Formats: sequence, structure tokens, C-alpha cells
Amino acid sequence: MIEQLLANPITLLCLVISLAVVVAGLVFAITSPRLFLLVIKNLRRNLVRTMLTCLATMVLVAMVTMIWTVIYTLDMVTTEKSKDFKLVVTERWQIPSQMPMTHADYVNPESPKFLPELKGMIGPNDFMTWSFYGGTLDPTKFTRENLLFMFVMNPKHIRSMMDELDTLDPALVKKLEDTRTGVLLGPERLAMINKKVGERIKVTSLNYKGINLELEIVGELPAGRYDQSAIMSDAYFNDELDKYARTTGQKHPLDNKRLNLIWLRVRDRDTFNRVGEIVENSPYFSDRPVKVETASSGIGAWLDAYRDLLWGVKWLLVPAILVSMALVVANAISISVRERYTEMAVLKVLGFRPNSILTLVLGESMLVGALAGFGAALLALLGINFALGGIKFPIAFFPAFFVPIWALAWGLAMGAGAAFLGSILPAQKACSVKVSEVFSKVA
Amino acid sequence: MIVLFGLLMVLGAIIAVIVVASILASLFAVGVAVAPVHKVPIRYNLRNMQVRWKTSLVTALAFTIVVGLLTVMLAFVKGMDRLTQDSGVPGNVLVLADGATDEAWSNLPPASVRQLPDDLQRMIEKNQNGDFLATQEVFVICTHMIPNPNPGGRKRRFVQMRGLDNVLIAADVHQIELESGEWFSDAGVREVTRNHNGSSIKDTALEVVLGNGIARTFGADVGKDSLGPGDIVQIGPRFWYITGVMKASNSAFGSELWTKDRSVQELFGRANSYNSYVVRTKSEEIAEQASKLLSQFRSERAMKAQTERQYYSNLTATNDQFRYAILFVAIIMAVGGVLGVMNTMFAAISQRTKDIGVLRLLGFRRWQILASFLLESLVLAFVGGALGMLVAYLLFDGATANSIVSSGPGGGKSIVLRLTVDGSVLLWGLVFTFVMGAVGGLIPSLSAMRLKPLESLK
Repeated sequence: MIEQLLANPITLLCLVISLAVVVAGLVFAITSPRLFLLVIKNLRRNLVRTMLTCLATMVLVAMVTMIWTVIYTLDMVTTEKSKDFKLVVTERWQIPSQMPMTHADYVNPESPKFLPELKGMIGPNDFMTWSFYGGTLDPTKFTRENLLFMFVMNPKHIRSMMDELDTLDPALVKKLEDTRTGVLLGPERLAMINKKVGERIKVTSLNYKGINLELEIVGELPAGRYDQSAIMSDAYFNDELDKYARTTGQKHPLDNKRLNLIWLRVRDRDTFNRVGEIVENSPYFSDRPVKVETASSGIGAWLDAYRDLLWGVKWLLVPAILVSMALVVANAISISVRERYTEMAVLKVLGFRPNSILTLVLGESMLVGALAGFGAALLALLGINFALGGIKFPIAFFPAFFVPIWALAWGLAMGAGAAFLGSILPAQKACSVKVSEVFSKVA
Repeated sequence: MIVLFGLLMVLGAIIAVIVVASILASLFAVGVAVAPVHKVPIRYNLRNMQVRWKTSLVTALAFTIVVGLLTVMLAFVKGMDRLTQDSGVPGNVLVLADGATDEAWSNLPPASVRQLPDDLQRMIEKNQNGDFLATQEVFVICTHMIPNPNPGGRKRRFVQMRGLDNVLIAADVHQIELESGEWFSDAGVREVTRNHNGSSIKDTALEVVLGNGIARTFGADVGKDSLGPGDIVQIGPRFWYITGVMKASNSAFGSELWTKDRSVQELFGRANSYNSYVVRTKSEEIAEQASKLLSQFRSERAMKAQTERQYYSNLTATNDQFRYAILFVAIIMAVGGVLGVMNTMFAAISQRTKDIGVLRLLGFRRWQILASFLLESLVLAFVGGALGMLVAYLLFDGATANSIVSSGPGGGKSIVLRLTVDGSVLLWGLVFTFVMGAVGGLIPSLSAMRLKPLESLK
């Protein structure tokens, strides 16, 4: 949690601003209760204006929260960790990476061919292989609903290696291990293909032409990240490729390219560097050279095609929304101040100091901004994560994005910040009201 | 969930009614303003906007930002649309392996037009030398190690390389011309002298021609505008000598590297295999017939043929994804803008209740008051919106950006697109401006209309 926070300076800044705003607000309410009540009364005087400003702030904060959720998630997955490195071994010079299965033996701690130089650096639970199998449930109709894209892996590595699946029910993993033709499907994928756990499906392959599978749905993956995913056992997949060779008399064209990637986990950067050097320079991989990189670096390379788009969203769209939010607040507050020049003059006559008037105006706008911002972020958090099942904007490998708890700090900081920027000039104008000028106009 | 859905439906219906009513009322207001028969106190509204110029300016600026952003976002999608529409040559037929959803996943054996039946052969065009305009292409996405990467920055990028059996024919088929240099030789390899740790060494480099977009990207790595003929670049395990750069065209090829097929096949383990065949026919109609016949043709590997235009127009899944996302963002931003303008108009009306009373006593009817305040809101919106569109046009029209086009998950092509602010983009900007101004102005104008003359003068 703290590591996440430190890795994202904008979130950290928002948290600091939010805490400062809350503390300042509490101090203000406790030390100047009369002024605080005046702020509340002023806000209630023109409810339509307060509501409209509040709504506009909420709408725009909710929008930025959604956009920033995507940016934040991508930033987090592409930021290097300082420990528990997950390494990805893939074909060095091209994508899609297609390696012979023998490559996995040299880095599998349980294989007799395991490279001795790697001993002590990779444990039995720190290794897994991935193959990708894509197929359709209806070869006559290639629709999105019929498509099934599966991760092919050894079930016993799922809980130890897969992100967010460490809490997966062990009974499900056991079922997948015991049922050779078993498959686990995400809830959305299940609904999309209109099947239930226990039913059987026939899959006609798209990438492994001729390797068609008959699968039994043995369980459901947890909702969220794996909503649309499917995981099948590598034993069945490998058997089918071997069967193809036996029945046709020749190996499948992709037989020697069936391994798409290998995941390894090491404890720190030092070990990562050493493992990388050993594997990349090992002669055992010379027929299909491999590269070793951190998962974050690998994902970063995949996101490269989106970099201009993400740059535009981060540095043009989000700031522009924040500016337009500040303009909305500035407009509302400046109208409100202009309408109350006489009142400000009266306050001065009554002994209010310019600073008190400045605090009064700033307090009004920042209370509206902070509450609206926090409320919008809270609504976004609950609505998107629990009612909508995440933001469905498929970029690279991410089927959905979930609003992090830090969004509450983003919302409060954005709302209060925009309100502060939008109201500082009107507030200064309010506190510099000249009593004589105002009353001469009234007279 | 059902309750939530029901509530959303009701809310949606109410919003739809408000939007439609606002648009109709605004059209009516514009109609009566330009009609010579009925009087609407427009001058009064315009003068008031001048007097309250600060508030008007801030409101208009909010519109400038919202509409400007919308224009830029739509220009991005327009650029993607243009690229996918213009990438194919109308008479070209693209052949992939049956079942392949993307060029990268296709695998075809070497083939010759001579293997095809006579009627199919007759459909394929020939060049001046009598050679069939048909090309076999091997397509790989390979790794380019970025020279001198920033510390902590990305160290590599993916680049798209196309190996061709005959580059002159391929250039003819794809209608690609060179901007500088020459096409690579038939050998596809040459002796070069390159810099290695400060000293010059002799080496063998493979020859390559760069697309205009990727040449600029590579150029930026070494502090140049673009790489050009004579430059050497490392891609994959080998050094490559750039023999030429393609002319800028609005096609996906601008992001590709073209080289000899053998170079790609040997280097990337694609011995004796191709990803696609492309043949040129006389017209789009003949291309459609040929693609049907080619799909039915039985050879060593089952094939899926389609016109090149069809192939690229199917790569619009990403465009659609961006389009919906942009529409969603634009609508939410517009809601914010509408609430802002509503605030301004309510304030304007509350400050001018006496004026409204006077106008009513002067004989202006309720609907004329409604029309005048709606027009004020529309003018604010149009001034801000037009400025936003102008700024977007001046700053972003023609700018280039990297993106990706695909037909769905599991494939896609990296592209360099050109942002396009054209008539349709501007029209969308205007429509948004109008709707925002209309919806933002309607409710305050209704409240102004309902003011009673004597009460408002109290």
C-alpha cells in the first residue's frame, strides 16, 4: 500500500492536499464556529447556484476519476517493483513469442535439465509456462460471443504465480488438475457463451489449426480482472499436439512453437539481473534466442502503441477538465461575490478583517468543491467497482479497470483544488472591497 | 440492480426530453430572431453580455475548452478512420491462411500465380514487363532496441517488418513510392562501414526501406528529424542499411520497414513461409470476384481472400472503441459545461429581474423573453465553441500521433496517423456547442419567462 503510494507522486500529493484540506476545515470550524456557520448559511442562500456548482464539480471529478483510474492502473503495472520481481522470458526478437517447449525445461526448477547456475535463485513455486489457444465454439460463425481465448498452463502454478489468484479456491485448482479436459471460465465469458459450470463445450481452434478440443467447464474464475478469461490445463493441450503428430504422421506446424512465455519470480533486482544474464547468454536457447525482462517492462513495451494517446489524455484532457471545473467554480463564486459587495462592506463595518472575508469566500467554495469532489469519487468508486464491474475499456491485456481506494483522495483534492483556484481571485476582490465606495454607490 | 436500471432509464428519459425540448426551443428562438416579423430584444441581451464581459468571457472559455477538446479527440478518430479507409488499393486482393484473424497469425507456403486456374490468372493485372502484379509477403513484428534510452525509460519498441519477394512489384501493387533513396537490391545485403565504440569497422548489413512515420520515430532516437538513405540502424540481431524512405502517404505502410523476404525468413525463423499474398486486379468489382474464387481454391493450405479495402476497413475495432470512449467523455464534459452555463444564465436573470419587468411592460411577450435569453446562451456557447474549434484546428490539424488499429483482441497494427480536423469534425463540434448552449439556457430562460412584470419591478 505504502509502496504503491510512494510510486505514484500525484496520488501522494492528492493525499497530502486532502489531509491538509480536511485538517484546515476542522481547525476553521472549531476555532471560528460563527464564521463557519456563516459559510453554511451563505451556501444555503442560493441553493440553485450551490447545487449547480456542486453538480458540475461532481460530474467533472467523476470523469477525471474514471480517466485517472485507467492511467493510474497502467502506471502501476509499468512501474518496477523493488522486491518480488516477476520475470517474463519470451522470444528475443519478435512477437508473438513462440518458443519450443524445451526452453522451459532449462528454467524449471523441477526439471532435470534445470540450469545449475540458477539454483537457489528460482524455487519450484516461482515458475510457470504460458501458451495461448484461441478458438471458436461455432466454426461457421466467427462472432465475439463464440470466441474463446484460453491461457494454457499447469494448474498447480495458478495460485502461486498468477496475479490476484493467490486466494483462488484450492478445490477449483484440484478440479482442474484432476479433470484432464477441464477449463475455468470468467463469469462474463460464461455468460457470453451462455454456458454453466458442469457443461461441456467443443472448441475449433483458430491458431492451432486441426487441434480442436472438447472441454468441460469445471469452475468459475473470480469476477474482476479475470471476468473474460479462460484457463485450461497444459496436460490436455500437450497430449492433443502429440496425438496430432501420431495420427497425421507429422508434427503440427506450431508444435515447436507452442510455448509463448515463461514467468519466473525472483526476490530482488540483483537476482533479476543475474538470472537475466544467465538465461540470455545460455547456449541452450541459441536456436530461438530469448530475452528476460520484468513484467512491468514487458507490459510497457505492449503499451507503446498507445503512448501518444495516453500522453494526450494525461497532459491535455485531464488538465483541461480541471481548468474547466475551476472556471465553473470561478464563475459561480465571482457572481456570488459581485452580488454581495454591500454585504461585504457591512461585514467590514461590523469589524470583520479582510482575512476573515477572504476565508469566508474561500471557505464557501472549498467546502462545496471538497464535498462534491469527495462525493463524486465515492460514487465513482462504488458505482464502477460494484455496480458496473469496472471500466470496460480494453487496452492491451486489461479487460476492465477498477477505481482504487486512493480515488477518494483524488476527488477531494481535485474538488478543493479547483475550488481554491477558481475562487482565489474573487475572494481577494471581496476582501479588498472599499466600504466608502460601496456605500456611496448604494446612496 | 433492476431498480438501479429502472432509475437510470427514468433519468435517461427525463434528460432526453429536456435535450429535445431545448433543441426545439432553441431552433424556435433562432427562427424568430432571424424572422423579420417578430421582435426579440437581442440587442439588449448582447449589450448585457458586453457589460458583464468577465462572466461572459469565463463561461465562453469553459465552452472553448470543452469544444476544443472534443474537436481534438474527434480529429484523432478521424485520422484513424482515414488511415483504415485509405490503406487498401481498390483492386487489390489480400490472401491470408484460413482461420487467421490477423496478418501476424497467418502462415502460407510459397506460391505462384501460375498455380492458379486460368480464369483467376486472367483477373490479375500485369506490369509493363509482363509480370503478374502479385506479391508474397512475410510480416513480422520485431524488437528494436532503442539507442541511448533515457535512464528508467523504455529500452525497446516493437516495429513491423515486411519481407517481399519482389519489391518493385510490391511497390506497384501497394502504390507506394519513394521519397528519397532507392529500393533495396535483389541481394538485400551490402558491405558497410559502421561506427563501433568510436572506430570504423567493416560489416555486412541487410538492406531496408523505411516508412515515412517510422523513419521519423527512429530519427528522434538519435536527435534527427528522420533517418534517411545511408543511415544504419540495429533491428533484431542485425544491422540494417537504409536504402530509401517511402513517400508520406495516409496508409498503414508508413509505420513499416520493407526488406527482402529472405532476410526476414532467415532471421526470424520463418523459413519458406509467408504471411500473405496480395494480387492486383483491374477494379474493385473484379477484386471481389477474385477473392471469392481464391477462397474456394484448394491448395496445400486453405486460404481466406478478401479485398484489401475490406481487410483494412475491418481493422476498425480500436477506432470504434476510441469513438465510444470519446463520445462518453465528451457527453460528460458537456454536462459539466451545461451546468456552468446554467449557473451563469440563472445569475444573469436574477440580476436583471427588473429589466425583464420593464421589457414585459414595454410589450414583449413571454415567449420573446424566453427566446432572448435562450439566444444569449446560444451566443455565449457559439463564441466559446467556435474559438475552441479554431484553436483545435490551428494547433492539431495535420499533427501526427502513434496509435494502433485492429479488428479485435489478439492482433493489430501500430500506425502513425495524421489528426484531421475536417468538415464532419467541425460539424460535430457545432452540434455539441448548439446542444450545450440550448440545454444550458432553457431552464434559466423558462424561469425568466415566468417572471411577472409587476412583481419583478418590486
